Amino acid sequence: MAVSTPVLGIVVLIYMMVIFYLGWLGYKKTQMTEDYMVAGRKMNPYVLAISYGATFISTSAIVGFGGAAGALGMGLLWLALMNILVGIFLAFVIFGKRTRRIGLKLGAVTFPELLGRRYQSRFIQGFSGALIGLFMPLYAGIVLIGGARFVETTLNINYDVAVLILTVIVAAYVITGGLIAVMYTDALQGALMFLGMALLLAFTYVNLGGVVEAHQALTNIAYLVPESLQAGGHLGWTAMPVFGSPIWWNLVSTLVLGVGIGVLAQPQLAVRFMTVRNDRALNRALLVGGPFILMMTGVAFTVGALSNVYFFEKLGVISVVAAGGNTDLIIPQYINSAMPELFVVLFMLTLLAAAMSTMSSQFHTMGTAIGHDFYREFLKKGELGQTINITRIAIAVTILVSVVLAYMLPISIIATATAIFFGLCAASFLPMYVGALFWKRMTKEGAIASMLVGAFSSLFWLLFVHAKEAVPFGLSQAIFGKATLLSGTWTVVDPIIVATPLAFLTAIVVSLLTKPIPQKHLENCFGK
Amino acid sequence: MLGIDDPQIWIAYLLCFLSAIGCIIYGMIHWNDGKENEEAC
Repeated sequence: MAVSTPVLGIVVLIYMMVIFYLGWLGYKKTQMTEDYMVAGRKMNPYVLAISYGATFISTSAIVGFGGAAGALGMGLLWLALMNILVGIFLAFVIFGKRTRRIGLKLGAVTFPELLGRRYQSRFIQGFSGALIGLFMPLYAGIVLIGGARFVETTLNINYDVAVLILTVIVAAYVITGGLIAVMYTDALQGALMFLGMALLLAFTYVNLGGVVEAHQALTNIAYLVPESLQAGGHLGWTAMPVFGSPIWWNLVSTLVLGVGIGVLAQPQLAVRFMTVRNDRALNRALLVGGPFILMMTGVAFTVGALSNVYFFEKLGVISVVAAGGNTDLIIPQYINSAMPELFVVLFMLTLLAAAMSTMSSQFHTMGTAIGHDFYREFLKKGELGQTINITRIAIAVTILVSVVLAYMLPISIIATATAIFFGLCAASFLPMYVGALFWKRMTKEGAIASMLVGAFSSLFWLLFVHAKEAVPFGLSQAIFGKATLLSGTWTVVDPIIVATPLAFLTAIVVSLLTKPIPQKHLENCFGK
Repeated sequence: MLGIDDPQIWIAYLLCFLSAIGCIIYGMIHWNDGKENEEAC
């Protein structure tokens, strides 16, 4: 690494001190269960917006997906557009307002509790909590890997020690300060991320001679696309892949639609809508949220693609080749060789902030899912007691599982694990979440059926059809003697494309066949 | 357009900016809307 370790060490130290101060502030302000779970429902709108964005965007979104843009090109900008339109606008204006109101009326403090109370089903709350507690450590584990790899390479600390240091720091403020600490630290981390990404974009365009010039140069080197990618439908970095080709399916179904829509049903994001006082706060949050996401994914995907021009001009090769074939290394490689040293320090801090802001929310959501939703509400039937303490223990346990996973998981699983979790959440939660907010005719039975069909069909497709996961897992090979049950295009279609519509269909059919929810309860949820 | 030949890409590029600006405009227009439903349960 080109950066001098003492400079970076001091900067990281100052950053950590501020983080601890914010964590302590959160601890001081946490007095009741509602403070710990939903930040007392009175969070500042701008803190909400930046916290939502910083949680949404992890290191893997910047480095992993930015690297994917280095390989696939600017077609990923459709995902950036989805992130703004669906992940921010639709989420805040349409989903957020209703989530906040219904959450408040039903006294829900977590996403599974909102669903469970809306459908009057402890099973929904318990199963959702268990699903989150079981699969989110996988997602948290890979974010932890990303963060620890950063600490390892930049500060020259052993990887195992880096994992422990990072975990202890984040765990300390999440366990003691709850969601207030999480959101305060998110706001600082988000601000750092915004600054880092804005400078990255500016430096890149200036280095390459201007906006149009940079794009034109990228268009001009389309002939450099390797033959293997050309065969898959790649037409250059400023062109969409051939319609219906394997690369097109990967780009459109897994990346653009999978991640673009999957974000709506992310429990750690949905819970944030319940942290503000009124709808006005959500309106005001949009003002910050839209530009923030544009600066995150929009910049990462544009710069990722443009890195090809830089590497071609400097080394005569495209980005994937310059990064030794590993797309995850494209962005770090580009930053290290193309940016001034001081900026490298800032960008490393950006990445650390991105990892920590996502991890803190994951730890909080996993803990509340197990401690509150599964243990207290499902197993103990809502019995009052030491909810916060149980949640704190659950946070500690799930963190431990994430750490174990961070040690065990191979590096190549990073993108896969993110996709698995997003897809699973969309298929299991999205139909009943949409129904909970907008369709009064949806029944408890419809919700349960859609959740089960969504969860299991998503897992089935992952393990038996979608080649990217089914082949390495090898379960289909072991049981049926072939790598995937279906062949051809099916093996590149993402689980979310199959399981989510199936779950929606189940929700509609089963709801229409079963008894509607009593009018009185609906009035409790929506008002008269 | 913008040095990009494929309309499927430059349209996405422009839409990203327009949608972020749209978020800003929405936030400004509705700056004070929604204060009334501040009820506590």
